[in-house]
Amino acid sequence: MAEAPFEPRVVAFLCRWCAGAGADLAGTSRLHYPPNAVAIRVNCSGRVEPEWVMEAFRSGADGVLIGGCHPGDCHYVSGNYKTRRRIYLLKKLLAEIGIEPERVRLEWVSATEGAKFARVMKEFVTELKQLGPLNLEREEEKPSAAPVLPQVGS
Amino acid sequence: MAAKPKIAVYWTGGCGGCDVSFLELGPALLDVLAQVEIAFWPALVDTKRSEVEAFPPRSIAATLVNGTLRTEENVEMVHLLREKSQLVVAFGACAYQGGVPGLANLSPRDQLLRRVARNGFRPAPPPGGETEDAPPELLPEAKALADEITVDYVVPGCPPMPPLIGLLFDALLSGDLPAPGHVFAHDKALCEECPRTREERRLTKVVRPHELIPDPEVCLLDQGMICLGPVTRGGCGAACPKAGMPCTGCVGPTPEAGDPGLAMISALGSLARAGEEGPGAFAAEDKLLDALVDPLGTFYKYSLPTYVRRKGGNG
Ligand code: FES
Repeated sequence: MAEAPFEPRVVAFLCRWCAGAGADLAGTSRLHYPPNAVAIRVNCSGRVEPEWVMEAFRSGADGVLIGGCHPGDCHYVSGNYKTRRRIYLLKKLLAEIGIEPERVRLEWVSATEGAKFARVMKEFVTELKQLGPLNLEREEEKPSAAPVLPQVGS
Repeated sequence: MAAKPKIAVYWTGGCGGCDVSFLELGPALLDVLAQVEIAFWPALVDTKRSEVEAFPPRSIAATLVNGTLRTEENVEMVHLLREKSQLVVAFGACAYQGGVPGLANLSPRDQLLRRVARNGFRPAPPPGGETEDAPPELLPEAKALADEITVDYVVPGCPPMPPLIGLLFDALLSGDLPAPGHVFAHDKALCEECPRTREERRLTKVVRPHELIPDPEVCLLDQGMICLGPVTRGGCGAACPKAGMPCTGCVGPTPEAGDPGLAMISALGSLARAGEEGPGAFAAEDKLLDALVDPLGTFYKYSLPTYVRRKGGNG
């Protein structure tokens, strides 16, 4: 049997006020985008710890998307600025470890930008396909290679 | 008279500093030595491996192992000592989390050998020169002790400081033993025992220790030094910050911090400021953070083998 083409697994941490709402809008607008992401809704992108990003990689993710409000729009004023600095440092660390920094992507997506969310997902998945699987040493059993359906919040 | 408990001290891939660190106990060391029998301690006593092999199982009360696991012989010896010992203590940063020699894991084994040994290296033949024995094989990666055997306790530090060594001997000699896995240091962060005062709670520049003679009273992070105090266990008495040097994390991370690098990234991301926050400051913030030239070596100086597994391993 021919080997199935590589489908990257993405974990998307989306803030509930902007990026999460933008992802919902992409869904309700019936926009098409690749179904490779598991979305995890957080109150603010500033809540996303670097540890969570690494946990996602160790659990089998090939890429991690962090979606927050545009500068000036964060519901908690400056959570997105804090995240921007953390992700900047994390990418420097990843480069030293030998993990492509492009596997972590920080994007500002407003509640009205369903189209931007769809575009970001398309771009990210395309880029990850070029990078190939991460193959980080797994803590758990390798999950099945099937793409995971998106599920935004609950 | 009841027989004295037997102890052993063994070194694997270490620098010898851990063996020397016992001397820092001062006269208290004499009290300790009076209460134990040294079964095996290559730095002090000439005991052959064959003699250790002949020890009955669990006949050593406690074995203190220092050094990272770097060769196949290291691994054989720690398995042997585990079998002969009731308790095994990871002594020092290398045995605990891989230590400074663990930074070698950033390069594949073959590259290391080429760089360090070139192609002509052979160890000097032993006196008499009659043996053709090859040196033990280098492991693909440096490892912490717990990667190979069950470790009962940890005395952290590079090398362990007298107060922490004292805690271990107090427990061993009184028989009042803590739960397995105990680390003889504080669970709280070093900042709790650091006499410096935090004022700004902002990181507005990043300087390296040789670039600044710091103010003696003010928090080193406030002055731009990357001090790992917030994520590192206390217990050492904050010896480095007191002397104007930032903590480099040798006692290991607090249970709360977990991975020291990720915890520091989280902390520095919160603290860093280049003027008023906002898109106008992004470029300046990046420049500020770029001055932290080697996050990996800074945050995992003593713990790379424990926290960083590289893509595709190191074979
Ligand atoms: S609430 Fe959206 S980034 Fe803070």
